[in-house]
Amino acid sequence: MAKTENGVRIFQGLLILGNVVIGMCGIALTAECIYFVSDPHGLYPLLEATENDDIYAAAWIGIFVGFALLALSILGIIAVIKSNRTLLLVYIILMLITFAFEMASCITAATHRDFLTPNLFLKQMLERYQKPDAGNNNDKWMSEGVTKTWDKLMLQNQCCGVQGPSDWQEYTSAFRMTYSDADFPWPHNCCVLDSRGSPINLDGCKLGVPGFYKSNGCYAAISGPMNRQAWGVAWFGFAILCWTFFVLLGTMFYWSRIEY
Amino acid sequence: MLPLLLLLLAAAHGLQEVTYEPTLAQGDLGGRITGSTFVLEQPRCAFDNSTIQPTTSIWLVVADAAASVSFTNSVQPGMPEWAFQSFPANTSAYLTLNATLLNYPCPKDPKEITVLRVGSETSCAKEMSRPTCNGPLPSPGTYKVKFLALNGFEPVAETKWSKPIELKTARQPPSGPGAGGKHSADMIAITSILSILLAVLLAGLVATLAFCGSDPCGRGGIFKPEVASVRRYTTHHVYDQPAARL
Repeated sequence: MAKTENGVRIFQGLLILGNVVIGMCGIALTAECIYFVSDPHGLYPLLEATENDDIYAAAWIGIFVGFALLALSILGIIAVIKSNRTLLLVYIILMLITFAFEMASCITAATHRDFLTPNLFLKQMLERYQKPDAGNNNDKWMSEGVTKTWDKLMLQNQCCGVQGPSDWQEYTSAFRMTYSDADFPWPHNCCVLDSRGSPINLDGCKLGVPGFYKSNGCYAAISGPMNRQAWGVAWFGFAILCWTFFVLLGTMFYWSRIEY
Repeated sequence: MLPLLLLLLAAAHGLQEVTYEPTLAQGDLGGRITGSTFVLEQPRCAFDNSTIQPTTSIWLVVADAAASVSFTNSVQPGMPEWAFQSFPANTSAYLTLNATLLNYPCPKDPKEITVLRVGSETSCAKEMSRPTCNGPLPSPGTYKVKFLALNGFEPVAETKWSKPIELKTARQPPSGPGAGGKHSADMIAITSILSILLAVLLAGLVATLAFCGSDPCGRGGIFKPEVASVRRYTTHHVYDQPAARL
C-alpha cells in the first residue's frame, strides 16, 4: 500500500505543480496584455480608423483570462489537496470555459495580424492624412486621429510615408488636394526638422536632398510593434493552453479515481 | 552660294549655337521629377565668355515637346504672348528663370549642388503682371527645355533642346487591402492545434462523466488518503496523585 500511497502523493504533487505554473502564467498573461492595451507606441488610432481593431480585443480578453487562470489555479490546488470530487469537477468545467476563451483570443490575434498589410496602411494614410473637414463627426475624428498619429510617427521614427516619400508622389491623396505639389512634394514632417520644428533646409527638403528629408518608410515602425503584440498574445496564449491541456487531462484522470 | 549666305546671315545676327544639352539634375535627389516640377542642372561652363556679355540675360525656354520644333528665337520675354500664365493654352512655350553669366560661374565646384527647380514659384502662377513667373507646370505632358541668351530682345546664343521630360502622374490609391487573402502558416497551425486540444478535452470530460460518474474507475478507494488516517482519541492518563508526592 505504501507504493501506491507514494504514487498518489507524486501525482498530487505533479498536479499542484501544474496548477502553480498555470497561475504564474496567468499573471504573466495579464501583465503582457495590459502592456499591449496601454498602447505604448500610440498606434491605436490607425487601427481604429481601419474599423478592425480585433488585435486589441484579443488583448482585452487576455487580461481577463489571465485573472481567471490565476483564480482557477488556486482553486485547483485546494481541490487536489482536499481530493474533493465536487470541487474538482467545478474546477475542470471552469477551466474548460477559460480554455475556450483563451483559444478565441489566440485565433483572433493571429487572424487579424494577417489583415495588417502595407497596402492597408498606405490606403488609409492617403485617404485620411490631413483630410479637410469631412461629413460626420466620426469620420472627422478618425481623420484627426490618423493625422496626429502619422505626424508623431514621422517625427519620432525619422521616416516618411509607408514605403517612402515617393508614396506622396505616386498616388493621389487627401493631402494633395489641400497642399500643392510644388510647395509640398511631401508633408512638412517629412523634412528633417530642428528642435523648434522647422526644416533645417526647406529648399533641400523640397528637392529631396538626402540629409534634408527623410527617405525611408514608416512601415517597419508600424508593423514591428503590431507584430510583437499579435504574436505575443497568440503564441504565449498557445503555450499556456498546451500546458493547461496536460494539467486538465491529469486532473480528469485523478477525478475519475477518487471516491466520495 | 545659298549656304554661304545663310552662314553670313547667322554670323551677322551673332547667334551662337553651343553644344550643351540641358539635363535633369545629377545625383540622388528624391524630388528630381514631381507632379508639377522638375530639376535641371545649371548651365555651368555652357556658354562662351567672349560672346556673352555680363549684361546678357540667359533665359530658360520651356516648351511643349511637340511644339518645340516650331519654336523660333524671335521671342520677347515679358510680353503676354510668351507669359507663363498663357501656357499651354495660348502659347506653346514660355521663358522664365532670367539669369546672367555671373549666376553660372565656371568651373563648377564638385561639392555643390547646382540646380534649377522649374515650377517652384506658386505665388505668381495666376498673376498676369508676372509673365516670367517660374510657376508649377499645369500637366504632366512631355516638355523640352533649352537656354537662350538674349541681349535685350536679340538672341545671342542658345543651347540644344533637352531630351523630352515627362512629369509624374499620380494614380489612385491601391484598392483592396488584401484582407483575408492570405492566411499565414502560423495562424493555421494555431487554429488547428487548439481546436484538436479542445476537442480532446471535451471528449475526455464526457467520457469521464459517463463511465466514472457515480463510481470511481479502476481500483477504487486508493485515492482517498484521509480514509487511512488514524482518528485521534484521548489516552488514559494516570494523573499525578497529590498524595504520592507527599
